[in-house]
Amino acid sequence: MATESAARAGENGDCLLDMRGIRKMFGSFAAVDGVDLQVRAGECLGLCGENGAGKSTLMKVLSGVYPYGSYEGEILVDGVPLQAHTVADSERAGIAIIHQELMLVPELSVTENIFLGREIRRFGGLMDYPAMHQRAEALLRELGIDGINVAQQVLHYGSGHQQLIEIAKALSKEARLIIFDEPSSSLTATETRTLLSIVADLKRRGVACVYISHKLDEVAEVCDRITVIRDGKHIGTRSMAELDTAQIVTMMVGRELGQMFERKPHTIGEVVLEASNVTCLDVMNPKRKRVDNVSLQVRKGEILGIAGLIGAGRTELVSAIYGAYPGTWSAELRIEGKPVHIRSPQAAVAAGLCMVPEDRKRDGIVPLMGVGPNITLSVLHRYARGGVIDGNREAHAFHHEMKRLNVRAANPMLPIASLSGGNQQKAVLTRMLLPDPKVLILDEPTRGVDVGAKQEIYRLIFDLASRGMAIIVVSSEMPEVLGLSDRVLVMADGRIRGDFINDGLRQEDLLAAALELPHRIDNA
Amino acid sequence: MNASVNVSPAPAGQNRTPGSTRIRQFFSQYKIVALLVAVALIWAYFSYATNGAFLTSRNISNLFRQMSITGMLALGMVFIIIAGEIDLSVGSLLGLLGGVAAILDISQHLPLPVTILLVLLLGALVGTFNGLWVTWLRVPSFIVGLGGMLAYRGALLGATGGSTIAPSSDAFVVIGQGYVSPATGNVLAVLILVLLAFVTWRRRTARQRLELKVSPVWMDAAKLVAAAVALFVFVHVLNDYGGIPVPVLLLLGLLAVFSFIATQTVFGRHIYAIGSNIEATRLSGINVDRVRLAVFALMGVMCAFAGLVNTARLAAGSPSAGINGELDAIAACFIGGASMRGGVGTVHGALVGVLVMASLDNGMSMIDVDAYWQMIVKGLILVLAVWADVVSSGARR
Repeated sequence: MATESAARAGENGDCLLDMRGIRKMFGSFAAVDGVDLQVRAGECLGLCGENGAGKSTLMKVLSGVYPYGSYEGEILVDGVPLQAHTVADSERAGIAIIHQELMLVPELSVTENIFLGREIRRFGGLMDYPAMHQRAEALLRELGIDGINVAQQVLHYGSGHQQLIEIAKALSKEARLIIFDEPSSSLTATETRTLLSIVADLKRRGVACVYISHKLDEVAEVCDRITVIRDGKHIGTRSMAELDTAQIVTMMVGRELGQMFERKPHTIGEVVLEASNVTCLDVMNPKRKRVDNVSLQVRKGEILGIAGLIGAGRTELVSAIYGAYPGTWSAELRIEGKPVHIRSPQAAVAAGLCMVPEDRKRDGIVPLMGVGPNITLSVLHRYARGGVIDGNREAHAFHHEMKRLNVRAANPMLPIASLSGGNQQKAVLTRMLLPDPKVLILDEPTRGVDVGAKQEIYRLIFDLASRGMAIIVVSSEMPEVLGLSDRVLVMADGRIRGDFINDGLRQEDLLAAALELPHRIDNA
Repeated sequence: MNASVNVSPAPAGQNRTPGSTRIRQFFSQYKIVALLVAVALIWAYFSYATNGAFLTSRNISNLFRQMSITGMLALGMVFIIIAGEIDLSVGSLLGLLGGVAAILDISQHLPLPVTILLVLLLGALVGTFNGLWVTWLRVPSFIVGLGGMLAYRGALLGATGGSTIAPSSDAFVVIGQGYVSPATGNVLAVLILVLLAFVTWRRRTARQRLELKVSPVWMDAAKLVAAAVALFVFVHVLNDYGGIPVPVLLLLGLLAVFSFIATQTVFGRHIYAIGSNIEATRLSGINVDRVRLAVFALMGVMCAFAGLVNTARLAAGSPSAGINGELDAIAACFIGGASMRGGVGTVHGALVGVLVMASLDNGMSMIDVDAYWQMIVKGLILVLAVWADVVSSGARR
């Protein structure tokens, strides 16, 4: 059914979607300010812009999250004005959005998720499971996906498969335009390959896509045209054929970015942190080892990269070292040669070990608190006497820190949740720098962060290393690992599969090490 | 009258604020203004319906005394709710601790200071016990509270043998029924005003030294004048009827302490942080379990205060004391702007919430509204107040 309607749109060759002069105000601030966007049937349009540029707002306007009337401008679908008051209205017009954070219900089966709210019913409101399973299987088959049991609960599948289930769900709604919002942010390299090939396949079948991503190589590969927005304004729409990624970046930031990784010379000293025999057991299934007897060392002024695919145990390893692993774990730690016993983040911070966690929204920000108090949270006692905060000294400190790390907020008491991802990340980073750690662990330091802030964070990392801090960087982005690290550990299946000095090291070397074991989907 | 002790924390380090934030800031302050307007409307209505009897100094004095017990529970409860928890056991615990106080006073003839100290200590211990179940043993606080609600009521019945223990000693009764002499009330008001002026002056000089923005002199002066007027009207009205009731003075003192904890201390900041995102707070190197334990212990102490005042007011320990007390306290917190999801709420808001509930109780009793209607109205007001809060905060999503 999806293909029929899509084919129709393909024949007349006009714009499937035409957004004109969209303007969305929040108070006196224009998040989107006069943006035009056209998508033709069967094409993939890349939508690029830094965080906070207005991409998500624009897509929320399109998908009916912001109802008709709360924005200016018009939206035409097949030349017919779309006045969506709810998400259901825009879905009826054939527009589906796949959010960065997947919106599946983990406890329901794949089939139940695909048909959630549109269940096929039998007489008396009973669910017609056979018909739904059959249809779900057909949808997955059309996408060329196997290895998914539609009767299984979604929680048994990793984020890669969940994404595919979301796509099947969108197609089941006869979507003619699918919006992908940062689809690959939590996918492994192989899963991303599958996703890209499915997007290409969707295009062939006449389904149009809007692909929002910071990963410009993916955009370059899969998109036909690219629309760039900056500060809510439409900067330009170009055919991909006439662009390279450097030009896209220039359009996004409005200036030539210097080199992303400006290495600063730093001397590597003696060992600061020595972790031996770190073992983590799976929270749900204690027979399974997520980290299996891993040892590592990091030296003064050294940047140690930890690479590996999703599920390799990197985050588990560093959170165990930081005393924050949710399950059972064991580890022997030495800091500057002295054995330390770390069973809580509190003990870690006291021992001179700080960590910026992977999931900023879940583990990083304290959303309702201001940016300033978020920054001083880790060392609040420093600005207090007898437990009473000296508000003026604290304000003085966070003003200073915000200026130093270029955390941009109109007001330090503004809830941190209202800031862009880049500024949130810089604030959380500042919070964990204030205790003056000897060792800093950064888990995915630039996830969901715009290019400008990314560069600032890289510069900061080099700066800290040159001042003698030992830094561990866990990252899924190979260029980031290679650009930052002095030495790289590659993890796979809970073990260290490679220990490389970063001298002429190539992405292929890391990937080969990471893939040493055949990659499995996490089936808990 | 809250203005007297609630030194507004004045968000540290305001830069230039854009219009939208200023509106939002005004909105969050407006919430308490809206509540006070609601109180004024309720008072105006009851005053009209009772031909002015509601607004006599005698009734106002009674009203404040009536709200002091729920007020004490609400002070402890608002911290629990801000931390993202709930405690349903406080009504029963109030009863139990009040009963223990009666036993110590009447059956054991202990001197008053010893009784008070023992009851407060027991309150802290039971609160800590509740907290240990929540933090250490990871039982949801709703369940721990539900269990405590049953168990503490049972313990009270057992301890009192199911009958009222009376009469309390004269010294004890003062806690619930006594008045501070009018002269003392006036002196206290002046002292508070001097203290307020001193704090304001110190903040100004400190901010100047650190080159932070200082609010204009007229603004601080206006605030002080407003505080002075509120303070003296309050004291004057109560002095008209024998002076400030002891439990009201106690409540105001505790309000000052709790407001101070919430806005000025590391502990208070950590409570808000935990309620907003406990995981992020833990990963920042904060011992979140210790903070939560302390919050539950404080709740226990407030139950002890409330139990002491309640027993003193009745001059007896009653096995039915404090029934539904937890519901009034929780309702007051939510009316006062606390959020079910934690991280949001103010101490003075919770107390204004108590004032709303107490005014309804008092006024409806005066105009002879049936008890069943009183319950229906209070229930409706709770839901309406939270609805208004949802609507006003939903508008700035």
